[in-house]
Amino acid sequence: MKPATILTWIALLSITILFVSPFIGSFHNSSPEIQQNILTQIRLPRILLAFIVGAGLALCGMVFQAMFHNPLATPFTLGVASGASLGASLYVYLGFSFSLLGVEGTTLTAFIGALVTISFIYSLSRFRTGFSPETLLLTGVAVSFIFSSLILFTQYLSNVTDSFRILRWLMGSLTTVGYDNLLQLLPFVSFCIAIILWLSRELNLLSAGDDIAISRGLAVQQLRYILFFTTSLCVGAIVSVCGPIGFIGMMVPHICRLLIGNDHRWLAPASLLFGGSFLIICDCFARLVIAPAEIPVGIITTLLGGPFFLFLLIRSRTTANA
Amino acid sequence: MLSIENLSVEFADKTLLSGINLDFQQGDYLCILGANGAGKTTLLKTLMGIIKPNTGQIFLHQQNLFTLSQKQLAKQISYVAQAHNHVLHFKVDEFIKMARYPYHSGFSDWSKTDQTAFEHAIAVTNTEAFLSRQITSLSGGERQRVMISAALCQQTPILLLDEPSSYLDPHHQVEVHQLIQVLNQQHNISIIEVTHDLNHACQRSKHILALKQGRCLWYGAATALLESTELGQIYDQRFVFTKHPQTGAKIALACEGNGSTL
Repeated sequence: MKPATILTWIALLSITILFVSPFIGSFHNSSPEIQQNILTQIRLPRILLAFIVGAGLALCGMVFQAMFHNPLATPFTLGVASGASLGASLYVYLGFSFSLLGVEGTTLTAFIGALVTISFIYSLSRFRTGFSPETLLLTGVAVSFIFSSLILFTQYLSNVTDSFRILRWLMGSLTTVGYDNLLQLLPFVSFCIAIILWLSRELNLLSAGDDIAISRGLAVQQLRYILFFTTSLCVGAIVSVCGPIGFIGMMVPHICRLLIGNDHRWLAPASLLFGGSFLIICDCFARLVIAPAEIPVGIITTLLGGPFFLFLLIRSRTTANA
Repeated sequence: MLSIENLSVEFADKTLLSGINLDFQQGDYLCILGANGAGKTTLLKTLMGIIKPNTGQIFLHQQNLFTLSQKQLAKQISYVAQAHNHVLHFKVDEFIKMARYPYHSGFSDWSKTDQTAFEHAIAVTNTEAFLSRQITSLSGGERQRVMISAALCQQTPILLLDEPSSYLDPHHQVEVHQLIQVLNQQHNISIIEVTHDLNHACQRSKHILALKQGRCLWYGAATALLESTELGQIYDQRFVFTKHPQTGAKIALACEGNGSTL
């Protein structure tokens, strides 16, 4: 099948999911007016939020995979999301309450956390030539551990309310009422999506390796800085609102690669749509599995993503040995 | 067209290249010889802007190479890297078409010029048969032809090749050698090739640069190298000579025993 055909199918599927998912779940036999409210003030904003979060995370994952030439490299496996989480929990713990030009303080601290981590990981990977992908991943794991313990530390020092706030948020959730969260995220995520779609040709070259990319005329270093900034902004904004929702960035681009190939001009829009609808589906599960209570969606994506990660790890081992 | 002046490259306190001077004319075919670690690949990568030199200048048509943007440079020089382990998950035609990047900006469309360059590149390298295959599924010889085809699609007057025929069987080696000669003679592409194949370099190229420990050991016309007393020093290896039974060309054969004497 041609990439255009596959992309059309993914688009149709996403639209269907967007339209059907608000009607999934109980309305508790309530009056039409309340049903109306559930639909427009609770379900719809939540589904739209899920869509842009999923789309943003999937695209950032795709960019990391291209940038580090490794299907296992994502903002989450390399500790960038942990960095963002630490930034946001410090904000809560220190009792900050500020905003800059209408941007929430948590978003800013999460962005800084993400940017610092990604710069750190990258400079480590440049520190020695021949830094293997395995070492890179292990570095990410180590960085995540360090940040996790620092987050635990801030939690420990916080009072009970803040501590629970941090904990609940660390599980990753799309719970939202009204459109505030959505509107807060939308400018960042759509900015990043636009940049990444614009750079799809560059991402193709980048995934061919630095030497080939440079010899084809790509200013690799400059592109990396743009991508670091963009993905940090996107991950930071998402993490500050929804917490770390793991593994979307690894699973979705990988599945899309199998479906549509590695040309980022097709892969990027496919990952965007697929990521958005995939997170909507995960969130529907989160709402329904133990209804009327709900599970944080981060738990579901991680339960799906962990085994997927292992599968990729084992497969890359066997193909490397073959 | 390309002149290198007093070029030095250091990396982590190690001198990779030191005091290299070179004048390279249009239409030339230069082979770079040298032992492993002599700085051959470093020189190519510096010309391609992958490695930044510590001192020295490179001028391309009297213009400082380092003032060019990477895209401008990629319209002048293309590069076929050493066969490496990097897995390229692309279809052959996708990969070759990606070489048109320096001629594009933003979302600009695939133009007629692009298509002409693409068709020319696959015709010259005879890669039409596997355009729709994955690069990972190609054999070494096919893969090297695709790499050269992509560099050609970039339409540059200068082509850099890093050991293009290493790791290939004799048949594919000859095939690649012939292809490079066709590019140089019929398509007027200036070639700089890094190789370990001494006899191939002497017989096919026009000039030879021999590097040793980052310095220029010998430079001159390709036919003169086998007459030179410095030949043995290049690899610290003794050579004996014979004549090619078919062409009568002088051929060097490495023989046992150390030392740089001939």
